[in-house]
Amino acid sequence: MTDLVTPSPATETTASAPARPAPAGWPWLMWFARRIGLAVLTLWLCSVLVFFATAALGDPVRAILGKDYASSPERVAALQAELHLDRPVIVRYFEWLGGLLTGDLGNSVANGLPVGELVGDRIVNSAVLVLVSAIVMIPVAFGVAMISANHRGKRTDGVIQIVMITLAGLPEFVVGILLVALFSTTVLHLLPAVTIAGGGAPPWFAPASMVLPVLTLVIAVAPYVARIVRSSLLEVLDSDYVELARLKGVPERIVMRKHALLNAIVPGIQVIALQLAWLAGGIVIVEYLFSYPGIGASLVDSVRNSDFPMVQVLAMVIAAVYVGVNLIADVLSILFTPRARTAIAS
Amino acid sequence: MLKFGLVTGAALAGMPGCSAVPRRPDPGTPPVRGGVYSHGATGGGLKDTLEPYFPVTNPDISRCLQLYEPLLRWDANYEIEPSVAESVTPNADNTQWTVRIRDGVEFHHGKTVTAEDVMHSLATVTDPNNTGSGGTELATILELNNSTVVDPRTIVLRLNSPYAVLDQLLAEYTVGIIPTDFDISHPVGTGPFAYEHFVPGQLSRFVRHENYWDGPAWVDELFIYDFADDAAKVNALLAGQVQSIDNLPSYLAGTIEQQGASPLVSETGAWVPFTMRVDVAPFSDVRVRQALRLIVDRQQMIDQALGGFGILGNDLYAPFDPAYASHLPQRMQDIDQARSLLRQAGQENLDVELVTSTAVGAGAVESANLFVEQARKAGVTVRLNKADANVFYGDRYLSWNFAQDFWNTRNYIPQVATSSVKGATYNETHFEDPTFTALIEQAKREPDPARRRQLLHDAQEIEYDTGGYIIWGFKRQLDAYSNLVQGLEPHRYLPCSNFRFSRASFVRQP
Repeated sequence: MTDLVTPSPATETTASAPARPAPAGWPWLMWFARRIGLAVLTLWLCSVLVFFATAALGDPVRAILGKDYASSPERVAALQAELHLDRPVIVRYFEWLGGLLTGDLGNSVANGLPVGELVGDRIVNSAVLVLVSAIVMIPVAFGVAMISANHRGKRTDGVIQIVMITLAGLPEFVVGILLVALFSTTVLHLLPAVTIAGGGAPPWFAPASMVLPVLTLVIAVAPYVARIVRSSLLEVLDSDYVELARLKGVPERIVMRKHALLNAIVPGIQVIALQLAWLAGGIVIVEYLFSYPGIGASLVDSVRNSDFPMVQVLAMVIAAVYVGVNLIADVLSILFTPRARTAIAS
Repeated sequence: MLKFGLVTGAALAGMPGCSAVPRRPDPGTPPVRGGVYSHGATGGGLKDTLEPYFPVTNPDISRCLQLYEPLLRWDANYEIEPSVAESVTPNADNTQWTVRIRDGVEFHHGKTVTAEDVMHSLATVTDPNNTGSGGTELATILELNNSTVVDPRTIVLRLNSPYAVLDQLLAEYTVGIIPTDFDISHPVGTGPFAYEHFVPGQLSRFVRHENYWDGPAWVDELFIYDFADDAAKVNALLAGQVQSIDNLPSYLAGTIEQQGASPLVSETGAWVPFTMRVDVAPFSDVRVRQALRLIVDRQQMIDQALGGFGILGNDLYAPFDPAYASHLPQRMQDIDQARSLLRQAGQENLDVELVTSTAVGAGAVESANLFVEQARKAGVTVRLNKADANVFYGDRYLSWNFAQDFWNTRNYIPQVATSSVKGATYNETHFEDPTFTALIEQAKREPDPARRRQLLHDAQEIEYDTGGYIIWGFKRQLDAYSNLVQGLEPHRYLPCSNFRFSRASFVRQP
């Protein structure tokens, strides 16, 4: 961590000489509290949007009964009462919000089981998929960016740029289908085509079956991260202080590692956060294609069934991931940006 | 074999051998005991259930058939054969039916099936507060309070009115026999596989029922996986992760044959009719109905809407019923005749709205589009209204003037009871003909099969001449299985060899 601080002389002075000794962390705490407050406010707005949008999704009773809707009015009435559809929408919202805050997520309309029970495992499965993809994607993206920046303007850089732009333009399901054809069904028979191998155990018990979904997600997001990191690397490499370091005789390898890379981390964190937050929602297609037991299939299924308690919870989970990941990214960015840290502290 | 190290668990089962595409096995190869069999079922979701009397989704049906068995069952030709019962026989006037239970049929938990269990099952499926989907018709005719248990293996069922085809109702998979101590948290039946594990929307796991009366299954374990996506399902088959899948998209039938799998094609009695309301203009004029029936190019609909997987329809249903009126002339496209009928009806520039929806199922929207074009040739303008599922099956369902619907294989009398007489739950065409109804009532009571057949022929003739359905074809069921397994055969009742995985075995020891 100390390495980070060295390039900026400003940090050294303020960090070592605080104005008052006691409340050193005070401005930090204030900043943090305000940031959390904003996150909570955002989530609350999301809850309003999610609730009222799903309320307009369509008549769940109709979706549940299908062919029987027209022929059995008594079941229609019974279901409407069971789902509290006879009460005003505002009342229903506050009941729902109260339940959400106290952990009572309601029951699924489709099968009457508690939503928490139905989505718990699936949320964990999806989280693992995103996490593993992130762990693979981050070093890959940074590595590609470094190679590309090192060879700026040369053929290697050109080829990498073309590959990255092409991959970024391919929809995930195309990538997924191509990977399956290549590794599982048509060309080679190396990897499972779908994530059902564990026979009910979590997918990571059969790691081979996770390779293709992870690879698909990595290919879907790595190009964006790599391109942003590359351009920030180039910006730093062109800066005066790097030029100075070079003039001082610091080897290019060290320039890249100690100066350029560390300074490119902050924009990197921002774009990674955006991509991870996107993954939380965009994972749906990949889970569908690989029959991955995550929230994706549940979300699609629930929307189709107008199973609004499920849709609401899943939408809120995705919103919470967005807000959470961005919060973490902001905190990390501040920690990695000496000037911003100073601004808060003073 | 290195690559198989990467594939773990159940996925291993299907992948003996090497990357060379396996050929279809020689039909004479003897079955091999053992292995874990996996089936990929289409659809399903959080609505999934193991309830014997309320199967909702396609995977539900496939599970239901592993766990539970009815008294009688449909064989591959859609004819009734004994199952849990060794016989079900009517008295002279069809008001009393004697059920004789097969000796020594065991539930999964070891108890032998008795008359009490059968009575309990019938009471559950016809429970007036909660009638199971297979029990609706049964509930209206069965008088369980008057029925008697003669001995542990014999029951006399009494009906409130004569019903000549009770055996057909008792052969439905939705009338499975459960023990008196049935508990849905650990479902028990007499089927070839016993329950182990179940996750709605994902999978279910079963083990072989060693004491199964009809010969224990070849494979040790059975997994049924839900697949929301067709591509994932087919990929799983081609990668050897599942050994069979139901409802293969027809455009893939050729491709999979080059990749070590075979399509399984079965005739069915499933139909996707156009429904014209006979009580509303312009369809109240029988000439208009006849004209629209003559406009349809049936073969083109089968070729294009069903990918060629269909059998020609003749505006009649229940093609497997012994009384099916196959002697009536096949109706073909006849634009001149259609024009002339419309002219006589004063409807030369007929303009109608046809309501369709993807919710009706495969072939519906496609055939509706084709109908628009075919009608144009006869000067009829058809405006297509593609309704959302919630709208199509919403308030106006069963009252659309001109729409579509779907039906699965049924015999004639049970089908009429649900769709074609006054008061039938799903009478989309509002067909209501006193002569027709009288013929059906008479047929239900008629103990002599030859005379019953004549009555049903007469009834079908009425529908053929004046009915509100345009039945252009019956779907062929298309499923697929890996060339590493054998024992699945075409079956007219339900997909994938009637889901009889107990008869499936691996070609070589996995």
